[in-house]
Amino acid sequence: MKYEILPWLILFLPLFSAAVIALFTLGNRTVSALISIGAIVTGFVLTLAFISGNGFHPAVSETSTAWLSIGSLQAEFGLKLDGLSLMMLLIVTGVGGAIHIYSFGYMHEDRSMARFFCFLSLFTFSMLGIVLASNFVQMFIFWELVGVSSYLLIGFWFEKPSAGDAAKKAFITNRLGDFGFLLGILMVWQLLGSLNFTALADNLHANPAALQVGGTIAGLLIFCGAVGKSAQFPLHVWLADAMEGPTPVSALIHAATMVAAGVYMLCRVFFLLNADALHVISYVGGFTALLAALIAVQQNDIKRILAYSTLSQLGYMVMSVGLAGQTPAMFHLTTHAFFKALLFLGAGSVIHGLHEEQDIWKMGGLKKHMPVTFWTFFFGTLALCGVPIFAGFYSKDAILAQALEQHNYILFGVAVFVAALTTFYMFRLFFVAFLGEARTEKAKHAHESPFVMTGPLMVLSVLAVVGGFIGITTVYNSQFAPDAEKLTVVQQLLEPLKNIVPMLLGIGAVAVGLFCAYTLYGKAATDPLPAKLGALATAMKNRFYFDEIYEATFIRLHDALAALADWIDRWLVEGFAIGFIRGGTDLSGRSLRLLQTGNLQTYAFLFTLGVALVLYLMLGK
Amino acid sequence: MNASLMSLEISVLALGMLVLLADLIMPPERRKFLGYAAIAALTTLLIASFSGYGSCSLAGTAFNGMFVNDALSLFFKRFFIIAAILVLFIAIEFAERLAVGISEYYSLVIFALAGMLFAASANNFAMLFVAIELITITFYVLVSFQRNRLASLEAGVKYLILGALSSSFMIYGIALIWGTTGKLNFNELAAVAPQYTGEKIFLLGILLVVVGLGFKIAAFPFQIWAPDVYQGAPTPTTAFLAVGSKAAGFVLLLRVLFVALPVVAAHWVNLLIVISAITILYGNLCAIPQRNIKRLMGYSSIAHAGYLLLGVAAIAGNVHDATAGGAAILYYLAGYLFTVMASFTVIALVVKTSQTEDISVLAGLHQRSPLLAATLTIAMVSLAGIPPLAGFFGKFLLLKSVIALGVVNQGYYCLVFTALAGVVISLYYYFGVVRAIYFSKDAADLSPIAISGSARLCIWLSLAGIFWLGIFPDTILNLASEAAKVLSS
Repeated sequence: MKYEILPWLILFLPLFSAAVIALFTLGNRTVSALISIGAIVTGFVLTLAFISGNGFHPAVSETSTAWLSIGSLQAEFGLKLDGLSLMMLLIVTGVGGAIHIYSFGYMHEDRSMARFFCFLSLFTFSMLGIVLASNFVQMFIFWELVGVSSYLLIGFWFEKPSAGDAAKKAFITNRLGDFGFLLGILMVWQLLGSLNFTALADNLHANPAALQVGGTIAGLLIFCGAVGKSAQFPLHVWLADAMEGPTPVSALIHAATMVAAGVYMLCRVFFLLNADALHVISYVGGFTALLAALIAVQQNDIKRILAYSTLSQLGYMVMSVGLAGQTPAMFHLTTHAFFKALLFLGAGSVIHGLHEEQDIWKMGGLKKHMPVTFWTFFFGTLALCGVPIFAGFYSKDAILAQALEQHNYILFGVAVFVAALTTFYMFRLFFVAFLGEARTEKAKHAHESPFVMTGPLMVLSVLAVVGGFIGITTVYNSQFAPDAEKLTVVQQLLEPLKNIVPMLLGIGAVAVGLFCAYTLYGKAATDPLPAKLGALATAMKNRFYFDEIYEATFIRLHDALAALADWIDRWLVEGFAIGFIRGGTDLSGRSLRLLQTGNLQTYAFLFTLGVALVLYLMLGK
Repeated sequence: MNASLMSLEISVLALGMLVLLADLIMPPERRKFLGYAAIAALTTLLIASFSGYGSCSLAGTAFNGMFVNDALSLFFKRFFIIAAILVLFIAIEFAERLAVGISEYYSLVIFALAGMLFAASANNFAMLFVAIELITITFYVLVSFQRNRLASLEAGVKYLILGALSSSFMIYGIALIWGTTGKLNFNELAAVAPQYTGEKIFLLGILLVVVGLGFKIAAFPFQIWAPDVYQGAPTPTTAFLAVGSKAAGFVLLLRVLFVALPVVAAHWVNLLIVISAITILYGNLCAIPQRNIKRLMGYSSIAHAGYLLLGVAAIAGNVHDATAGGAAILYYLAGYLFTVMASFTVIALVVKTSQTEDISVLAGLHQRSPLLAATLTIAMVSLAGIPPLAGFFGKFLLLKSVIALGVVNQGYYCLVFTALAGVVISLYYYFGVVRAIYFSKDAADLSPIAISGSARLCIWLSLAGIFWLGIFPDTILNLASEAAKVLSS
């Protein structure tokens, strides 16, 4: 393998940047930002250099160094370098780099900008660690680091109580999933005797029955990790609240990287998942896609609409993994990273231009004032909806085709319906926020964002347009289906024609969604849907009361348990048990201390007494 | 005889004399430079010991087997040189508080180092005694070096008298051993010892030697001097006493018990278990009510001697394979070295501005100097044995070596339980220090603390050591395992 040092540099540069900012340049905003941006952009360039030297499949797919060995546990620190991880590297450093640059403009007024970039670099390091991990131990460590750094970023404006609460909610909900993930890892270790991905695959290949009945349980426990990170039902509740963080954070964490980690992990350890586990995974994904799309229809906060849309698209990806379609899942993950990051950044630009206004009903008529944002957002919307030749069209079509190929008509139906819903809520957002007349003073005086923000928008919008046919599937296919033929750009352009049914149904869904959105919202001043749908609309608006249900059940139960534990701790443990033990220890310490009189004669006497005691004990008998 | 094996010792002695001579011609205001020069010289020696070119790293014996160079001695020599370098850094910081004669202070530290180097290579009871006395006598002076401070003088006198007492026990013990067997060389003694295991006079002799060494490492029931001396001595001396003198005691104890007398040591498992357990409990329990930070470190060092004795007890349980226990001791000492140096550098700096040594002076340290606050916190956390710092992995190795023997002797399980209880107790007072730094409301003085270059360097080196050992234990562990093989019989 050429340039073996490069992946290590790519991984550790952001950590270095975070350390430098935290230790030395916290006082200097611009320098801190430049260090952080420099680290990730260098990472991107180095990734390109590595790929140009080795291709997407280096001869040796792993580079590792021994870390520590305790008994039979050999923990290594290794980097996995294959098509999957290298493509993810490109996404994380490329899209992440665009978001870093954008943040320089977006956070410019914030007095804690240096701290922001420090956290951003720490996050990048953690995410790169997940992507490059060659074994479960390492992946879990970085998995948790992503949890921590996302906590820091979501709660960046910690002086706002809602931001603090959202950060806690995200972290704790993730931890719930991670607990299952850890159990799954331990179970795999128990059953297969290794934690290294390559070794695991070899072991399983040599002895396919090794997982036995535990296979389903282990698979589902590992899936728990993805449920948390990729915000699948029932742990989806953290993602929408996490919009309390600065908007670039939403773009980075909740579109391009962190939430993608779950899907990536499933693809990485796909060989561990058996048919039963995959079945569950596909339905959880499908259900999440539907649920989130329904909720998105009745949200009014521009970032929350995008958040639920993210949930819904993640549902697509997870469903696709469950349907044994890793290529479509990763393909959609990639295109989604392009256009969802674009949409979030566009939303950030709007919020910036309207002085922190997030309610779409207080916008309107932004086309005039913010042309670049308008057009890039428009492209992002088309891509997300799956309008032909835009990136989302190809990846969504691949997922639909996968569902049909597996003869799972229920999930196929769900996916088509969700596609219609997606178009509906995205164009609702688009019509209301960007077209028509300005509804408020703020919207009338909106201004376009500076180039440092619109530049990344333009770059990402190019990717959102062409992402579907620039060879992304070729890389993923070379990983997951080595027999698949390599397609030229034109062949990729025409790929959907091979599966004419899903393509037509997909386009039909877009048309229906667009038609409904235009009739209802084309010229609407207020939302007409609540009157038409009644209770259903209220339920959608209130996110089907999941937060309230959790509040009333799990959290209430947890509070009761906590109160009980508190009582036991306070009175039985601390008062009774500790009271005696601590008091006794303390007392013995204080009385022993009396031996140390400070008097030399006493000391000499005690010393000699000690000698006599030892001699008596050993020789007296 | 091959005197070139002793090149390290000879160089260090020469360096000590050079420092003394240079003092004559150097103007007083430039004497600080002497400290740096000594550090540079010692660093060169340290590098030489690693390079593999110098004769100091060759294996072999000299003076008719009195002096031995092997992996164990080399490990300890590097350890002592690093300790001396860090102590000199603290001493440079401390210079203005020693009324006169900073150059003498440097040279005494270097002479004590020479004693420790000889101790690391001692393979004969005469050599052992000479090395110990070279260390102890220089320490009598080092402890009472602050002549204008009554506490320092008092500590010096206490150390002198109790040290003389323990030396007399030890020399008496050596005499008895020689009287019964006619051997002083460790290897020769090992060959004849099995014939004498039933003779009480012989065993009495060994016990008295162990008493003398027990005094050096401050193990129960010979620990009584430690808190007073640690408290009264100048801070760099205390640091050197806690690390260098203790480690010298341990290397000699290991050689006497497992090179010279493995047959006897194997019968003394229960004694070692009891001493280890009581030492741990005594040190930790007495540390609880302490308010003086240096005295607290004194008790803490007793407790750590107890933990180290876990490893000694483990080797005694299986004298044929000393690798696990021996490596654990050496690794633990290495971690302890950096942790103690970090703590005492901070203490030296903080105590400088305020006249008292009460824990309350730490209040608000995180505002006065975040670096010092963080360093002391990390040191305390490492002493308490929390991952990923050096102290954790050391304790882990020690406990692991002892647990492995629990199947043979249930007493080891009791020892593990006691050690764990000791760790829990120690959390209380170590975190008491951390609490005093960060959560204490009544900070009397919030003026920033100036940190001199030497202290800053010492802190960063120590921190690097603490983290390096904790996160990448393998390098040192390999060296330690290699060294511990010497002890297997």
